[in-house]
Amino acid sequence: MELVLQALINGLVSGTLLAVPAIGFTAMFAVLRFPNFAVSGTATLGAFAGYLVYGAMGSLVAALVVAFAAAGAVGLFFDKTAHLPLVKQGALPAAIASIASGLVMENLIRLGFGNELRGYDRPIARDMRLGDLRVSPQQLETMGIALAIMLLVFAALAFTRVGKAMRASADNPELASLKGIRPERVAMAASFVGMGLVGIGGMLLGLDSSIDPLTGTRILLSMFAAAVLGGLGSVPGAVLGAFLIGIAEELSVLVVGSPYRAAVGFFAILIMLSIRPRGLLGERAY
Amino acid sequence: MNRKTFGRRTALLTGVAAVASPAVVRAQGEPIKIATLTPLTGAGGPYGPTMAKAAAAVVESVNAAGGVLGRKVVLVSEDDQTSPEPAVRAARKLIDVDKVSAIMGTWASSVTTAVAPLCWESKTLLCTVSGADSITLLPHQGYIIRTQPNSQLQVTTLGEFMLSLGVKKVFTMIPHTPFTQTTIDILNRVLPKGGATHASLVYDDKKTTYRTEVDQALRGSPDMILANGYTPDSVVLLKDLYRAGYKGKIAGFAYSLNQKLIDQIGQPEVVEGVYTFAPSPAEGSNAYEQVKKVTGLAAPDPYTCQVYDHANMVLMAIAQAKDASGAAIKDNIRKVCQGGGKSVDNAVDGIKAITAGEKVDYSGASGPCEFDDKGDILSCKFRYEQIKGGKFTLVKIA
Repeated sequence: MELVLQALINGLVSGTLLAVPAIGFTAMFAVLRFPNFAVSGTATLGAFAGYLVYGAMGSLVAALVVAFAAAGAVGLFFDKTAHLPLVKQGALPAAIASIASGLVMENLIRLGFGNELRGYDRPIARDMRLGDLRVSPQQLETMGIALAIMLLVFAALAFTRVGKAMRASADNPELASLKGIRPERVAMAASFVGMGLVGIGGMLLGLDSSIDPLTGTRILLSMFAAAVLGGLGSVPGAVLGAFLIGIAEELSVLVVGSPYRAAVGFFAILIMLSIRPRGLLGERAY
Repeated sequence: MNRKTFGRRTALLTGVAAVASPAVVRAQGEPIKIATLTPLTGAGGPYGPTMAKAAAAVVESVNAAGGVLGRKVVLVSEDDQTSPEPAVRAARKLIDVDKVSAIMGTWASSVTTAVAPLCWESKTLLCTVSGADSITLLPHQGYIIRTQPNSQLQVTTLGEFMLSLGVKKVFTMIPHTPFTQTTIDILNRVLPKGGATHASLVYDDKKTTYRTEVDQALRGSPDMILANGYTPDSVVLLKDLYRAGYKGKIAGFAYSLNQKLIDQIGQPEVVEGVYTFAPSPAEGSNAYEQVKKVTGLAAPDPYTCQVYDHANMVLMAIAQAKDASGAAIKDNIRKVCQGGGKSVDNAVDGIKAITAGEKVDYSGASGPCEFDDKGDILSCKFRYEQIKGGKFTLVKIA
């Protein structure tokens, strides 16, 4: 029993970490209307940018800011030059182009840093114990950062002009432009913020383990599954989906063994698309 | 008669005599050709050049002592590029054009697997340093000799080492690899014989955390964890074991629990006391010292030592067979390195003894060099190290 409880706790922790990039992914989908698979590359980019800054300055906040800005800027660049011109032909060409941009980023990072592993130089502490259950102080810290970022995102969407414009644009682009919201600006903002969040997500995951050019590729499927589960385009849905995927992946270790973990994501997507294609919270619920 | 005419006449006479003499007499002057096919480029690039150099040094010393069967030895060296396709082309050239009777030093298992059929079809002996179990299971009719211990030997030895540490409950954590099932099966056999229990968990090497896996492993409170992954996942695994408060022993293979892993983790107490294990050359032996000298390396790698042994064994087998064909080398190679006799550690001494009618038993730079019928090495030395204060310290070589 405590094994199941422990797996639940572990799942909550990994779900929180997964939620940040999943929000970015789904927010971009809401506005840009195509699944941007370049997130695999931007997550890795964020992890490496954060790593460089953390190594040079030792400040977690500075590292997070740079991870956000670098991933956002590069993500925006690829969206502007490669993906958005293709969206007019449909979501599929843009999605395929985004897979290519993800590969380009991954290999550029490989060119600069090589294939070897790098780790944030963070102290490794023994876990805190509550009876038979345990949590790691570092994971609590990363979890706290992730929760704070999520709150910020929700506040921005609810209260700022850009946030409101993004929601309006996602809900009904024609109506939004009639009201004077400029769609290209909103698209650029969504792309920058979405990719920035994905970059932070890559860095948060790297904080706890290690980073290499494949960091983002490893979480791509879980991230996508979380977004589909919650309803593509729905930010609260992405959070819910991330928690569910995180918990399901950890529980699956107890039931079928961890080599089948990847199947959890695919299985979730399959079930969701066949039973409720809109996702748990519906497509555009903010 | 001046000196000049004498010289010319003698030359003419010798030439006529040479042409007139039977072919077999002339053949004695023809050199014996053997080859190295090592990875001079590609992933094996750090090893291939010194491997070829070690073989060349053996050939040179044998030639300096008069060759084999009164014939000079010529070593042809080709690059396998650590890739099967160029390796096959190079092997074709060695077999069809150079007509070598032995090819030594193939490194990558994929290369060895690709080149092996050419060798047994053309009755050319193939000496390899590749480790995959499947290689000696090929229908090679005796034409493959492998000096690298296969997984069977490595895992069995590792199991026995863990038992020698007095552990009672071993838990193996291993990702999905071609050797996963073999490893688990072997340990399931070896450990209970020594009075220890064994359980295992196969994990996904792409996960970013192994907390749940670690919980599962620690449920049976093991006193030894075998961390049998590659470096990236082992970094995460060892961190999570430390976080979970595991205080028992940890062991693993030196190819993954290496200096890079220590640097990555960056906190010495996380890896303190971890045991590592790797096949080892016979450090301290005369042959090993000789390899050091000819390659200029302070600590020659196992592969270079193994190719040094290949060249010595092949040349002694030719002397033993009084025949330089691949088939003759195949039939005689075991006669010069196992089954007792005068113990030798280089081909020059070995050939001298064989010519004098003595039985020899070669032990080389990589170890005793004794093979079973499949061509696998029977035993080899292993190097055991323990991480102390973030540094590897030698436990033993045995």
